[in-house]
Amino acid sequence: MVDAARHPRIDVRTFTEVEKVEGFVGNFKVTLREKAKYVIADRCNGCGDCARVCPIEVPNYFDMNLAPRKAAYVPMSQSVPLVYNIDLDACIHCYKCVDACGALEAIDFSQEDQLVEEDIGAMIVATGFSHFDPSVMDEYGYSRYPNVITSMEMERLNNSAGPTAGNLIRPSDNKNPQKLAFINCVGSRDKRYNPSCSNFCCMYSIKNAILLKQMNPNVDITIYYIDIRTPSKGYEEFYDRAREMGIHFSQGRPSLITEDPETHNLFVHSEDVTLGKVMEKEYDMVMLNQAAVPQPDQNHMSSVLNVAQSPGGWFMEYHPKLRPMDSPTDGVFFAGACQGPKDIPSSVAQGSAASSRASRILQSDHWEIEPTVAVVFPERCSATTRGRACGICAKACPYGAINIFSPETPAEVVTAKCHGCGACVAECPEDAITQLHFTDAQILAQMRAVLADKPEEKILAFRCHWCSYGGADLAGTSHFEYSANERGLRVMCSARMDTDFIYEAYRLGAGSVLYSGCHPQDCHYITGQLIGAKRASRLEKIFDKMGMTDGRFRVEWISAAEGDKYARVLNEMQAVLDDIPMEDLKAEIEKLKPEMSKRLKKFPGVPGVQEAMDYSDILVDAITKQKETA
Amino acid sequence: MTQQQPENNNEKLRVGVYVCHCGTNIAGVIDPKEVVEFAKGLPDVVHSAETLYACADSGQNQIKEDIKKHNLNRVIVSACSVRMHEATFRGAVSEAGLNPFLMEMANIREQCTWAHGHDREGALEKAKDLTASAVAKSRFLTSLDMIEVPVTQKAMVIGAGVAGISAALDLADQGIQTILVEKEPTIGGVMAQLNKTFPTMDCSI
Ligand SMILES: Cc1cc2nc3c(=O)[nH]c(=O)nc-3n(C[C@H](O)[C@H](O)[C@H](O)COP(=O)(O)OP(=O)(O)OC[C@H]3O[C@@H](n4cnc5c(N)ncnc54)[C@H](O)[C@@H]3O)c2cc1C
Ligand code: SF4
Ligand code: SF4
Ligand code: SF4
Repeated sequence: MVDAARHPRIDVRTFTEVEKVEGFVGNFKVTLREKAKYVIADRCNGCGDCARVCPIEVPNYFDMNLAPRKAAYVPMSQSVPLVYNIDLDACIHCYKCVDACGALEAIDFSQEDQLVEEDIGAMIVATGFSHFDPSVMDEYGYSRYPNVITSMEMERLNNSAGPTAGNLIRPSDNKNPQKLAFINCVGSRDKRYNPSCSNFCCMYSIKNAILLKQMNPNVDITIYYIDIRTPSKGYEEFYDRAREMGIHFSQGRPSLITEDPETHNLFVHSEDVTLGKVMEKEYDMVMLNQAAVPQPDQNHMSSVLNVAQSPGGWFMEYHPKLRPMDSPTDGVFFAGACQGPKDIPSSVAQGSAASSRASRILQSDHWEIEPTVAVVFPERCSATTRGRACGICAKACPYGAINIFSPETPAEVVTAKCHGCGACVAECPEDAITQLHFTDAQILAQMRAVLADKPEEKILAFRCHWCSYGGADLAGTSHFEYSANERGLRVMCSARMDTDFIYEAYRLGAGSVLYSGCHPQDCHYITGQLIGAKRASRLEKIFDKMGMTDGRFRVEWISAAEGDKYARVLNEMQAVLDDIPMEDLKAEIEKLKPEMSKRLKKFPGVPGVQEAMDYSDILVDAITKQKETA
Repeated sequence: MTQQQPENNNEKLRVGVYVCHCGTNIAGVIDPKEVVEFAKGLPDVVHSAETLYACADSGQNQIKEDIKKHNLNRVIVSACSVRMHEATFRGAVSEAGLNPFLMEMANIREQCTWAHGHDREGALEKAKDLTASAVAKSRFLTSLDMIEVPVTQKAMVIGAGVAGISAALDLADQGIQTILVEKEPTIGGVMAQLNKTFPTMDCSI
């Protein structure tokens, strides 16, 4: 801690929050709110005279509210930096502190929050985690029974720098407990609250048990657990040591804690699954090892930073295996528990890893990004044609890369912020946007090529680059065989799969169409899949209404790890086609063509599409001729 | 930054098509020669050839030499997945002076011969179609340049727990000015609140 504060290249800003982030990789502008401390940092020497004279006491968050602090305070005596704060909410304006501070004149009640802007090239988000509040679990009586405490309270009470100087006492009578229970997985691995494992509580419950036993070998400690998880180096040995010291372990999640109202002793009701016995044991004190949960402001931070969250609420990394430190936004990285619970050794390792990811960008004065970005045709934007930009593109963009400065100005893509998902391209009702390297003309020409010959037998498969295309690769790599009538097309994200492409595929006589992307939580473009999925379900309804045979249009989310699924889906789609007599299929295709054409009225007007159609006529001729001669 | 063009419809094209054997991975299921012959009849294709291993130095050199010899301005590689070798072939064509985005791949291994070993005829038809599809796309490809953005060589770390402190120290030790932002009055995060910590049982501050 002190090293960071002393480092000549680290500028520590405490009591400061991030208000706004603008810009893009290499060029972020961050607005910070430096909250008023009412103490001038440069003048405060950390003597604490202000706190000594301050008459007001309030609970100290740092001690889990188990001990008081003054209105003039530092959270702990080793605070870094050692600069006092005046808590204005608690302060009664007696100004005794001002007198105590005397000639230093460090206290300044006229201070206000400062908004400061900082230009930076990359940022690392390391906002950590918070603690599950077990008072919602009625069965454990936390906050009703004084001697049921949480693990964080335990950390403070058992801490030589804590409120009791390390003397663990029962809140009900200040006596030292002799018989203690720890309950693991409180709010973790519990479908009601938080299905996942909190990663480090097994280890810290063992730690705290060992520490107590070292201080007093006569204390009796039982750890209630579901499974003991000790997968890192030396951790299992740590667990062994605890057992050798005589700490008891009982497998099974306790169902209930009751209290003797006289003694405030506690009864833990559980079923020990290894012994197969229902038990009720008495303790002086019970510690609840509460789950690690995302920060209360994690949702807010996720929108400020424009990064996605995993289903549990943690920040979501770009790729869990290959790019674990990267956020989906270039130049923004994660470290530590903000991305999911992890212990100190892993958090430190991630801090180093994230710094190396960030310094790849920061070591040079420029950075290159892929040019497969969105481009606006300003003359087609509704701002130009009708005097009002509809804003659909800006709303669709997962990265906030589209600016519309006024209703009359056409949409503008901030190239450096665009990640090339193609959501805006497919969503724009005026076809006023295209994506470089994935233009309508390019995709149409590809479709025409693969549907040139016997289109009714073909299954045209649209796949996103990151997941479904990878799933198709894996099907091949694993030699999961599937119908050779599949014809795959690749776009970067399902968000790019324009309704026009699907209508056009059927207009060209395709037997079936697969619309396939990643699972929502795997999307490489934050919310791209959601946009693709919404469009796909709209299409499903439309085709259903048209009377298209069930299964000729199929929507599937297939990850890069689901090669088996890709093969299965394709085989099922082939079976659907096999079940329709060819005459009926052809008749259905013909019957629906006018419906498709109706919806494609504007398609030939899209930039490049007419040219692609003209070219494709020549191409299709050539393909048919080649196939005939073969 | 000049805006790049989405399409180029007027350029006179000279497309080269390479169909890879990948040892027997592809050639064991289909005859690459048939795909080569098929490609010769497609619009704008001026050169079409087999290659034993397109990704090997010899295969890449063949492409590079042909680009010069036949004055190719589009290259199609019918071989494996873009996830495998797109970067390889982009690199190869750009060494021969062609813009890397004018190279297009057709995946006739993972998504064709490996997946349709039971249906050789179907696999061959598909390999032809996928190759034609890549040729078709190439008609509308344009040269693209990587987008270069300037970099402010300064970092910010948000949150000063043990992870943030570790990140800030490493950045600063690499010579990078770093702002370490913490919402509480002290840095340290949860670790500063802890008693001794596992696995070493030392003091946490
Ligand atoms: C009871 C208990 C005991 C534990 N014991 C051990 C142990 O013995 N050994 C071990 O290895 N691990 C232990 N752990 C785990 C350990 O606490 C974590 O590994 C570690 O704290 C993670 O560090 P971090 O920096 O990611 O997050 P944190 O410690 O949570 O730090 C995050 C920091 O970011 C700040 N912050 C949050 N949001 C913002 C924002 N919006 N803007 C600015 N700043 C922000 C926070 O105030 C905080 O200072 C224990 C955990 C618990 C709950
Ligand atoms: S680490 Fe152990 S105690 Fe914590 S949630 Fe996972 S299994 Fe439960
Ligand atoms: S969606 Fe299309 S028409 Fe609407 S503002 Fe964006 S570019 Fe213009
Ligand atoms: S929606 Fe996607 S393609 Fe469009 S500007 Fe945003 S990131 Fe780029």
